[in-house]
Amino acid sequence: MAHLDDLYRIAAHLGHGPGEAEDLVQETYARALASYRQFEPGTRLKAWLAKILHNLFYDRYRRAKRVISLDDREAGGCGEKLSAVAPGPLENLLRAERSEKIGAAVARLPDEFRMAVVLVDLGDLSYAEAAEILSCPVGTVRSRLSRARQLLRQQLSDYVLDDENEKKTWK
Amino acid sequence: MEMNCQRAEELITALADHELSELEREDIAAHLRDCSGCRLRYQQELALKSELRTVRDATRAPARLREKILHDRRIFSPAPTGLAHRFLRPALIAAPLVLLLLPLLYFMGPAGQPIALIAVRTHEKIVKGELFVASGGSPQEIKARLSESVGDAFAPMTYDLSAIKMTAVAGAPLEWHGRKILATIYQGGGATITCYTFPGGDRDVPPKVDVFYDPDKKAEFYLYSRDGINLVFHREGKLICILVSRLPMPELLGIARKS
Repeated sequence: MAHLDDLYRIAAHLGHGPGEAEDLVQETYARALASYRQFEPGTRLKAWLAKILHNLFYDRYRRAKRVISLDDREAGGCGEKLSAVAPGPLENLLRAERSEKIGAAVARLPDEFRMAVVLVDLGDLSYAEAAEILSCPVGTVRSRLSRARQLLRQQLSDYVLDDENEKKTWK
Repeated sequence: MEMNCQRAEELITALADHELSELEREDIAAHLRDCSGCRLRYQQELALKSELRTVRDATRAPARLREKILHDRRIFSPAPTGLAHRFLRPALIAAPLVLLLLPLLYFMGPAGQPIALIAVRTHEKIVKGELFVASGGSPQEIKARLSESVGDAFAPMTYDLSAIKMTAVAGAPLEWHGRKILATIYQGGGATITCYTFPGGDRDVPPKVDVFYDPDKKAEFYLYSRDGINLVFHREGKLICILVSRLPMPELLGIARKS
């Protein structure tokens, strides 16, 4: 099933809970099938599917003005991701903890910054593809990503900056 | 113009993402040579990207989601069962003797029917197990046997579908309207694709179908659907290739364009 993991990654960080993410992805495939004539040759299938998924998310959660609380996102948005990491050796547990903290930091980003990170860093889309999905100029994606990563670095300084001197320089 | 660190910030992000133009790359490279603070920022950017990759790689679609999609009748019909399932099960690939010992048979297509319709109906018969196909052997062996069946006049079109966990599991030489057709059956993840290859030309283009033009390949792809089964038809030189499956049309089109 083409791009299933990528679509799920995007959905898991857009939605708020594994169930919602799975529903988003399943509905994305159904909508894609129903509207395959709109697919433009010469464009990437993954970007087209991601746009359908994003629009679906927007329709469901944004236009309905449904409030996504920070607690919801932290509790559900990354839960499914962590279940994929097998428990066991210490290394896996540390990796899971690290992954959890990074996922939570992404969830805390303001929506417009989070979207850019989710599409480019987690969905592996190009700036141009993310710009098409978000209906904004490529330069806007670039500046949102830059700002988003500044915020992430601040939240994740323990992971991103291992050296004490570097921490001082950064802060 | 000399770059300041504030302007460098965005360029460093884009540099880490390989999203800069050549000119911008030269500008930021010059700035990084002179500015230790921004060099550190660039290292931090790379470290952060590495951490985000960890999150990305740890996130996989759960198996239950695949199952839900495969059982969603809007997307897929139920997986093949019974004879077809036994014939096409990848485990039978381990029985190359089946392919080596059985004579290759030609199957007649119903007279007078358009090729696209025959292709769809033949695919259905293969999936339901109503049409014998020789399974076993590696994809290369299947291709070699099919080529041999037409005196190496042409070879079946092949696809590397490992990215979607599908592989060639069987082959069948067919005959429609007196023309030799080579069918390769790909299977994996509960889905089946039949790939037909045969020499042909413009006269074989199915009528009343959607057409997509791929500017990169400078090729036209003809799309046809019937009873939930999708078909993508295109030419590669003097060969015609038809892919038939219940996979969503965009996915099938994407596969055809990778040939």
